[in-house]
Amino acid sequence: MTDPVIVCENLWHVYPGDILALQEANLTINAGEILGVIGQNGSGKTTLVKHFNGLLKPTRGKVLVKGVDTAGKRIQQLAKDVGYVFQNPNHQLFARTVEAELEFGPRNLGVPEKEVIERREKAIEFFNLQELRNHHPYRIGFPLRKLVGMASIYTMHPAVFILDEPTTGQDNVTTRTVYRLIHKLRDEGSTVVCVAHDMILLAEVVDRMIVLRDTRIIADATPREVFSNRELMQSTHLLPPQVTELSLRLKAEGKLPEIELSVNDMVAGIASHLAK
Amino acid sequence: MRGAIIPITMVPGHSIIHKIAPLPKLLIAGGVLIISFATRNPAILGGMIVVGMLLVAISNIWKNFLKVIGVLFPILLTLIAIQSVAPAFPRPWTPIVPFGPFTIYQEGIYSGVTMVLRAVAMTIFALVAIMTTHPSDLFASLQKVGMPYVLNFILTMTLQLIPILQKEFATVLSAQKSRGLKGTGFGAVLPSMVPVFVGAIERVQQLSISLESRAFGSSGVKTSYRSVKMGAKDYILMLLGTAASCGVLYWIIVDKSLDWSRTLVFAPWLAILLVSVAGLGFLTFAVIALKYVLSA
Repeated sequence: MTDPVIVCENLWHVYPGDILALQEANLTINAGEILGVIGQNGSGKTTLVKHFNGLLKPTRGKVLVKGVDTAGKRIQQLAKDVGYVFQNPNHQLFARTVEAELEFGPRNLGVPEKEVIERREKAIEFFNLQELRNHHPYRIGFPLRKLVGMASIYTMHPAVFILDEPTTGQDNVTTRTVYRLIHKLRDEGSTVVCVAHDMILLAEVVDRMIVLRDTRIIADATPREVFSNRELMQSTHLLPPQVTELSLRLKAEGKLPEIELSVNDMVAGIASHLAK
Repeated sequence: MRGAIIPITMVPGHSIIHKIAPLPKLLIAGGVLIISFATRNPAILGGMIVVGMLLVAISNIWKNFLKVIGVLFPILLTLIAIQSVAPAFPRPWTPIVPFGPFTIYQEGIYSGVTMVLRAVAMTIFALVAIMTTHPSDLFASLQKVGMPYVLNFILTMTLQLIPILQKEFATVLSAQKSRGLKGTGFGAVLPSMVPVFVGAIERVQQLSISLESRAFGSSGVKTSYRSVKMGAKDYILMLLGTAASCGVLYWIIVDKSLDWSRTLVFAPWLAILLVSVAGLGFLTFAVIALKYVLSA
């Protein structure tokens, strides 16, 4: 059994002005797990994940990161274990060059200079930023700027990656890089928490999904289970990926044995069915 | 995060002050501004502060008002500490008492105290006007009295942008802390200031394009979404406000005895107490503010 890396125990959060944003959240995220967080705007997704690196502190209940209560920890202390990629890269980037941006995080963590350079180079290669390394982050387009934001957290090598809407505003090329990033993090044994409205992304990459509605976690299951639960999807006004919707209808008519989450799986499923 | 925001914006309410039209409030705030700059008499300035506090109590804007004053007042206290030992006043200076390596001067401490009272009086009335008036009503009223549309728009937009920028700064600071930002010195603030300024510039650029595309620069009379009605009580208030401001101003000009800079003598113990409290007050605020910024 894998170790829990993040545990929420009866977590509540109330913003100033008595605005209830999250209630009775109980959740355990195991090491190496890829978790998707979905729900309508205002359901409490971002509020929940902001507790994981101490950006928010529980109003009631507790959050444990690697067994340590976040209540007594500063964000800077938690940054070593939990990396948060903000939805808007403009909130993160400030340095004069992409290279300096990627070096900022590991330097803050006290990583030796040689390793900082190694991490920077690996990130530049992975995110395909070779031609932009000396550019000012604000002089490159938004999709690439967003990749720089992700790369700046990637160089910190946190055990847990939180990606807030990683594919929003991205073109096809940079979206594929996000897919590659999540697969790579999975291979490296990192834990990934992905808040997204992009159901195609989640269907393809996550192991498990939690669904929030009106500040509560109302479901915790595999993507297949979540997407095939019509009542749950309708009550949260969420739509499964088109390919999943298609397979759901075909299965309902007895034309397909399984619900498929991706185009490749769908093609394989249909081919297998036709071969019979 | 949200607690760090200084709320210089309207506090919704139904008080009698909220019901007054924006123009009388602006006129009275303007009158206080002129009187504050015209006099150095602590009694007049203190009187205006008392009246201002009464308005704060009536309009029930304590929470937001105290947040703003809580930040502003300790900063203003530095005026007393600095002015006391280095007066912005023509020599000769009258020494009161030595204070460590410095000397506290009569003219300096008087100057510092009046500067603080002046700033507090102006701020209170300005905050009452802003916190009890809907920004759009302010915009419509100023337009009504012939303020140029563009200038009016700039003023209103600036007021509306302040809380947005404050929120943005809190978000950016969180993002930098998430990257392990070490919180000491100017170097720590820079990573947060750059995105806020860049964001502000980008926002202004987008706003200007958006405005142009919605015929902002077109000529002719502009209409307003909100209409502000002026009642008899508003005209009476304007009349009274103008009369009171002119009356006090006339009194300040003709009555030379209102200058207490050499007659209001500060006892050595009082001078030391004032300067110490001012210095310590500011230092305490600076330490608390720094601790707040650095704490996650």
